[in-house]
Amino acid sequence: MSAAEKRSGAGKYLAVYVCMLMIPALEAVIAYQNIDGSQKLLGMLSLAIIGALLVVLFFMNLATENRSFVLFIAVFTLFVLATINYGWTDSFRLLVGAPFAK
Amino acid sequence: MSQADLAVGGHTPAMEPSPFAIPAKKLAMWLFIISDIMTFAACLVAYGFLRNATPDWPRPFHSSTVISVMVMTFILVSSSLTMLLGVRAAKADDRPAAFRWTFITVAGGVIFVLLHIREWGGIIGEGVTLFKNPWGTSLFGAAYFSVTGLELLHVMAGLIALIIVGLGYRRGRYGSDDIENCGLFWQFINVVWMFVVPLVYLLNVAN
Repeated sequence: MSAAEKRSGAGKYLAVYVCMLMIPALEAVIAYQNIDGSQKLLGMLSLAIIGALLVVLFFMNLATENRSFVLFIAVFTLFVLATINYGWTDSFRLLVGAPFAK
Repeated sequence: MSQADLAVGGHTPAMEPSPFAIPAKKLAMWLFIISDIMTFAACLVAYGFLRNATPDWPRPFHSSTVISVMVMTFILVSSSLTMLLGVRAAKADDRPAAFRWTFITVAGGVIFVLLHIREWGGIIGEGVTLFKNPWGTSLFGAAYFSVTGLELLHVMAGLIALIIVGLGYRRGRYGSDDIENCGLFWQFINVVWMFVVPLVYLLNVAN
């Protein structure tokens, strides 16, 4: 690894590091805003997903991996995460109240 | 063609190329990370399910807790950076630097664990346990301690792995790919914490 490559790599990682520190700070700001809970959740979850992507792509070096491997990880993980979130409609059903819900 | 035929012929068995052209240990670590993502996702979705279905979910975290959690986040994110620097040093075959960065990461992890336990002490002092809490909402304590406890368990397991592999790497027993695999697990812990902080702490900030 040449000195120039090392410097550019270090600069990239430092930029990602600063972004990752700003994300929780922004989330804390959102937490104290006088807005609806669902808006807070949307804002915070969006920031968390951006932070997670930054870590996965740059700190875990997935951005430099084999393309088929990245596709495998992305499709497999997202598919299972989507199926885990299938039960949310039931949560709202319990909240609203439904016959034989409890 | 049997193994005996191959032995007689003096040919070595044809090896399958590694999947996705990455080392098998690295693929195994990624598969483990994906399975662990499922575990945490299931816990967080269950927690979200409970919170959404409970109109009077308590919001007990004051600004002191938020500050403490921000400090813990700073320490964990910084330890991710030091782990990355350790992996880069290991790949460049700079053993002393890789060992140094790995143990700086361990130090950060230990501080994180101590702060986390201190945070738990605070909430237990308010009367929250697995089975009861002062606000009467069932399962708040169980949900909180399950999610944060699972994260803490992963951090502690990561620390043990880093110490063993770091010491082995310095002695020459382990290579740079072992440091890289431990680094992948440490970065994964950071990813999980990025979701635990807003969902468990920041959405339950006291008004």
